[in-house]
Amino acid sequence: MSEQYPALVVIGPLLCALLVSVAGWLRPRLCLPLAIVGLGIAAAASTGLLAQVLATGPVSYRLGGWAPPWGIVYYVDNLSAVVAALVSWVALFNLAASYRTAMTDYPEKIGPFYTLYVLAVTGMLGMVVTGDAFNLYVLLEITSLTGYALIGLAGGRAPLASLNYLFLGTIGASFYLLGVGYLYIVTGSLNMADLAKLLTPLYGSLALLAAFAITLVGLWMKMAFFPLHAWLPNAYGFAPAPAASLLAPLMTKVMVYVMIRVMISVFTVEFILQEVALSQFVVWLAVAAMVAGALMALGQRDLKRMLAYIVVAEVGYMVGGAWLGNKMAMTGAILHIINDAVMTFCVFLAAGCIYQKTRGTAFEDLQGLFKKMPWTMTALAAGALAMIGVPPFCGFFSKWYLIRGGLEAGHWGFVGALLFSSLVNVVLFFRIFEIAFFEPMSHGHGGHGGHGEQAKAIALTEAPLSMLLPLLAAALGLVALGLATGPLVEKIILPIIPAGLG
Amino acid sequence: MKALALAIVALVGGLLISATVDFPDWGDPASPASLHVSPHYVEKTMEETSVPNIVTAVLADYRGFDTMFETTVVFTAGVACFLLLRRREPRPGPSRVYRHRATGVIVEMSQPPDTEPAPEVFKRIDDDWTPHDLIVMNVCRLLIPFIQLFGLYVIAHGHHSPGGGFQGGVILGASVILLALSWDLRTATTRMKETATGLMSATGVFIYAGVGALALAMGGNFLDYAALSPILMVDPVAARSLGIFFVEVGVGLAVMATMVLIYRNLASEGHLDQGL
Repeated sequence: MSEQYPALVVIGPLLCALLVSVAGWLRPRLCLPLAIVGLGIAAAASTGLLAQVLATGPVSYRLGGWAPPWGIVYYVDNLSAVVAALVSWVALFNLAASYRTAMTDYPEKIGPFYTLYVLAVTGMLGMVVTGDAFNLYVLLEITSLTGYALIGLAGGRAPLASLNYLFLGTIGASFYLLGVGYLYIVTGSLNMADLAKLLTPLYGSLALLAAFAITLVGLWMKMAFFPLHAWLPNAYGFAPAPAASLLAPLMTKVMVYVMIRVMISVFTVEFILQEVALSQFVVWLAVAAMVAGALMALGQRDLKRMLAYIVVAEVGYMVGGAWLGNKMAMTGAILHIINDAVMTFCVFLAAGCIYQKTRGTAFEDLQGLFKKMPWTMTALAAGALAMIGVPPFCGFFSKWYLIRGGLEAGHWGFVGALLFSSLVNVVLFFRIFEIAFFEPMSHGHGGHGGHGEQAKAIALTEAPLSMLLPLLAAALGLVALGLATGPLVEKIILPIIPAGLG
Repeated sequence: MKALALAIVALVGGLLISATVDFPDWGDPASPASLHVSPHYVEKTMEETSVPNIVTAVLADYRGFDTMFETTVVFTAGVACFLLLRRREPRPGPSRVYRHRATGVIVEMSQPPDTEPAPEVFKRIDDDWTPHDLIVMNVCRLLIPFIQLFGLYVIAHGHHSPGGGFQGGVILGASVILLALSWDLRTATTRMKETATGLMSATGVFIYAGVGALALAMGGNFLDYAALSPILMVDPVAARSLGIFFVEVGVGLAVMATMVLIYRNLASEGHLDQGL
């Protein structure tokens, strides 16, 4: 069975998503169990795959039995295995946490909701394990489509935010596709490893440079890299809580993974460092992303929107790390994909728990929450400390590698921006804690009238256990990941850092 | 702002066009795209898959995994439309319009009746659409079976001629939409129920992925149709051709049902009671 893990990672959830859809029409009660089975298969297979890759080296899997470059192959190395495991486990925990919200908010549409949820995860997993540039695009389409629908599900301004995301996301995906088309014209291949070989003689060709540029800009659009981030704050800020805590931690991180994969496995670092020679420019863009993300987060008066802007800043960390051009920074960028996924998950899930109880995440809704929801707020505090970068939480370690990489490259702007954004995170989160800890729950805020608010204040208690347990698991995961940094870097990340990096 | 946008468009366009100088000439037989993977498909398709139509073989076998996900994209679009558009609560506005079948007299009720009048006496018609065109209705009714027959032919004949699941599925879906246009949405919905449409959409993709999973269960790789030869009782090469046929049927089913599902939800603003 173990030789089939790469296929199972993707087709397990795919088949279950279809069964969920059928169950949605016939037996809605079966939707959640089937979704759990699907993501459970993915989580088990990706964990098995990670163990296998660590034991025996990269695995490749021929779909349909056809050899590359004629057929499509899955190619799984340490990087893809660890990101696949991360995606499937985070999605599974979030699924468990989301069921209460899904039941109360859209009971009639449980079937399509879980179908799209599982399909979104299928798409992300497929993008991570694939070794084919075009196959990646197809899965990108699935993840994007499901994302638009899940975000638009919330009422109010969410459909508009989703439409905006759809326009920009489609442009981004088309750019990626156009880049792959250019590559196909000059090489005649779509397989990543084959492309890497065929591109070497083409260095210096303008077509290759254009292909690289448009692929990269397309991916940046998808990951909301400043200044292409305009869709993200509204999309994730207005998204329904279960969708926000699925997409915000995973989607941008998977896209950063794809960027790193395209950089090291298709175009190769030699090409990027010597032929493109835009590293300085991109790192300065990353600096702008960190500073702008932090400053815009300061201007928000809503927890979810504030977190969305922090995501914009975090994307800057990873892109900057990947482009600094040395091993230390690349290690930091990859480590930060893992850490940031878990910490973003933790804080967005905490926001989801708060929303489940207060029906709002504006700052006024947070008053007195430490008293009412101590566990949720503890987890939020853990996520905040990780995002600020306090040891032993995991955020500290990836920032440590990134800063060392920045110092090694002599890029003071990057180091400064990273420290600045961390300091802004301190301000952002302690402002929240001040409201939630010291300000008593106000009565009748927001003009709803006093009586109903008082009733709410009394009724407000801790989030349901089904949400709290995954949240606490994520919070503990932050410490566990931090403590596991050593083995994570040595066993998993260092072996795949390309030798061409200084 | 407009000037900035124009400058960016000009810049990107200039970059894309200037890159074409490094492209091989149009239709150049020595271009990389014609020399690297294509010769294998051109020379070996018949021998490896026994499918005369190379495009079908590449689409549904060599790169069949992509096509499976393309079908999933179609399915996803349908589910997304349903999720965002479908509304269970009745449409605002209480009036209902009926046509008395025997006389053709149109009756408008200012409030919905407690019990629906017998459909064989009073036929409900759309609020904003009254023409009752005998010729259009009957011509379409006569044409639809032939359209569907042609759709089935296109699905089944994809191995030998241009065609396949996507094209055939679109033709089948269009036939149902034609019924909805020439008669009304309710008639089309009675002929093809909402639940059945949703189930067909999922079943179509399930057939595709299921064939792949069956190959996996038989000891081959996912979607390796050759592994199905013991079940199909043919040699592995012929099994590939048959496997392609099965997945094309799945594609056709999914595409047809999804088209109908999307059309209905768009045309009736998610109420499925009346529309274009």
